[in-house]
Amino acid sequence: MTSLALDRLNKHFGTQHILRDVSIAMAQGEFVSLLGPSGCGKTTTLRCIAGFEQPSSGRILFGDRDVTAALPEKRDIGMVFQSYALFPHMTVAENLDFGLVARKVPPDERRRRREAVLGMVRLQGFEGRYPRELSGGQQQRVALARALVIEPSVLLLDEPLANLDATLRDEMRFFIRELQQRVGITAIYVTHDQAEAMVMSDRIVVMRAGAIAQVGTPRMIYERPASLDVAAFIGRSNTLEARVEAVAGGGGLYVVRAGPSALRAAGPVGLAPGSAVRLLLRPEAVRVDPPDAAPAGGGNHILARIAASVYQGAAIQLVLETPEGARLIADVNGRRAVAPGQTVALGFAPADAWLLPA
Amino acid sequence: MTETRTGAPVAPQHLRMLWMLAPAFVLLLLFFILPYVSIATMSLREASTRAVHGEGWTVSHYTTALTDAYILTVIGRTVLMGGLVTLLALLLGYPVAYHLAMSRSRWTSLLYVCVLSPLLVGLVVRTFAWMIILSNNGVVNQTLRSLGLIDFPLQLMNTPAGVVIALTHVFLPFVVLPLLGNLQAINPEVSMAARSLGASRLRTFLKVTLPLSLPGLQAGAILVFVLSISAYVTPALLGGVRGRTMSVLIVQYLVDTFRWPAGAALATIMAAVALIAVTLFLLLTARAMRRLP
Repeated sequence: MTSLALDRLNKHFGTQHILRDVSIAMAQGEFVSLLGPSGCGKTTTLRCIAGFEQPSSGRILFGDRDVTAALPEKRDIGMVFQSYALFPHMTVAENLDFGLVARKVPPDERRRRREAVLGMVRLQGFEGRYPRELSGGQQQRVALARALVIEPSVLLLDEPLANLDATLRDEMRFFIRELQQRVGITAIYVTHDQAEAMVMSDRIVVMRAGAIAQVGTPRMIYERPASLDVAAFIGRSNTLEARVEAVAGGGGLYVVRAGPSALRAAGPVGLAPGSAVRLLLRPEAVRVDPPDAAPAGGGNHILARIAASVYQGAAIQLVLETPEGARLIADVNGRRAVAPGQTVALGFAPADAWLLPA
Repeated sequence: MTETRTGAPVAPQHLRMLWMLAPAFVLLLLFFILPYVSIATMSLREASTRAVHGEGWTVSHYTTALTDAYILTVIGRTVLMGGLVTLLALLLGYPVAYHLAMSRSRWTSLLYVCVLSPLLVGLVVRTFAWMIILSNNGVVNQTLRSLGLIDFPLQLMNTPAGVVIALTHVFLPFVVLPLLGNLQAINPEVSMAARSLGASRLRTFLKVTLPLSLPGLQAGAILVFVLSISAYVTPALLGGVRGRTMSVLIVQYLVDTFRWPAGAALATIMAAVALIAVTLFLLLTARAMRRLP
């Protein structure tokens, strides 16, 4: 168990620049997700950490140890793959022993550690089974156990849940997270599923086109995205074109004009009055009020017409049109019927709106 | 709304698909089983000077053959040469198949052609080419002599060595192709997992890749062995007396001396030997194969 640092990793493949100055510093025991669409460089980053790819420049540090040039087998990593990659010709016990034998752990110690880790993944009594005799979820847990039984410095997970069905995936998210916290191991988790990254991670690294777009806690990434790209990739969001009218006190609060309405919204410090911005509004942050109601306690109102309403059970998704022609999506309580065609006031708190330079 | 099937009970899927075996089965019956039955029958008939075989029945052709030191030597030599060709083809073919399976280079298609090239040339032409290469004044001996490595030419023609070399060459594709299919089907993440767990490249190969490629290895080995011990043209043209194999001997019996029942007995013995060798091989590899999915 150790901290991990990537220091300005670059990777070229032919004329392609696959990784651009990727730097991440992780504390010991931290769970960090690399999140991004396919081809963003997250898997390449993970393979550089594992040693299966060599960065063109930059350094990789496990604690104080520079492993940039080390072979994968010398790095002391535990890795879980999307395909589980269990050894099909070995039983569960032999799969778990593989790394222990390579480390010359004596047989009785092997058995002790094997039993402990099988207990952790709730697979006691499965030692003699072959991978083909296990369900996908069980194979996944064997893969996890095989990576953990060697007590590696860092745990690397490459989309380990992508092949599981939805219910099992939800369950495994919490299972992996809980296990990682119990063991206290530093973990890097590659995924393209933002919901997965959200619920599991201490911090998320959003990657795009080989570069880091933003690093932050799930809450920061979701509520205070660094760019429109990040905002578009994480969850759904509405964007309104607006212009900064004034800085409303310190701490990044602004008054902006979007169409006829003056709105108060949060934004990064340093937006100049007069500059064009996009106002970002999450669908679930929007409240539907009667059109003549006064905005509650320093809130904002935008008038809009309900163009469509889709019942989704827990929520109703409303598609709204402002008089200026902007389309907005709002998720409102599913128990309250809202008729299309109605004009309503959309209310939201200044802190729930986020400004980004256009 | 529920949908129910009506009408006659339907046979299980695998039974209904049985007719798909019919064309191959007919072919097998006409050109494989019937000739074998006829050979086996003939091997039990008495020899005759007036017809292909005589009136009575006898097992004397078998007892004579199996007590004849010369025939036993030829059987032993044939099996040994077959085993040697198989071993050489595996040793030479495995790295090629491994490279082809792992490589992402665009030159691999060229390598494919190289691997298949022995099969692109006619059998007789290829064998005469080997005669040019292997003869006492051939390419190999002249090169070695001009390099000063040998004083007298190596006897490669009319020996088992020449036959083994030529057979290894032509049967290489039969090892490479099944192995290639097998190696390509192995999930590359499995060997990455082995490396991540602390195994070196060599250990990963020995403990993971090699055992997982056993089916391809087995298929290639059986193909090459069976083809080698039944090869005719190559040993007939390159083997001479010292490299004579069973198939050459059988043809001599049948064509040169018209001893059909005795030749048929030799052919049956050879088929049995091949069957026993393959069965032994399968039994030896069965333990490792059982672990594979």
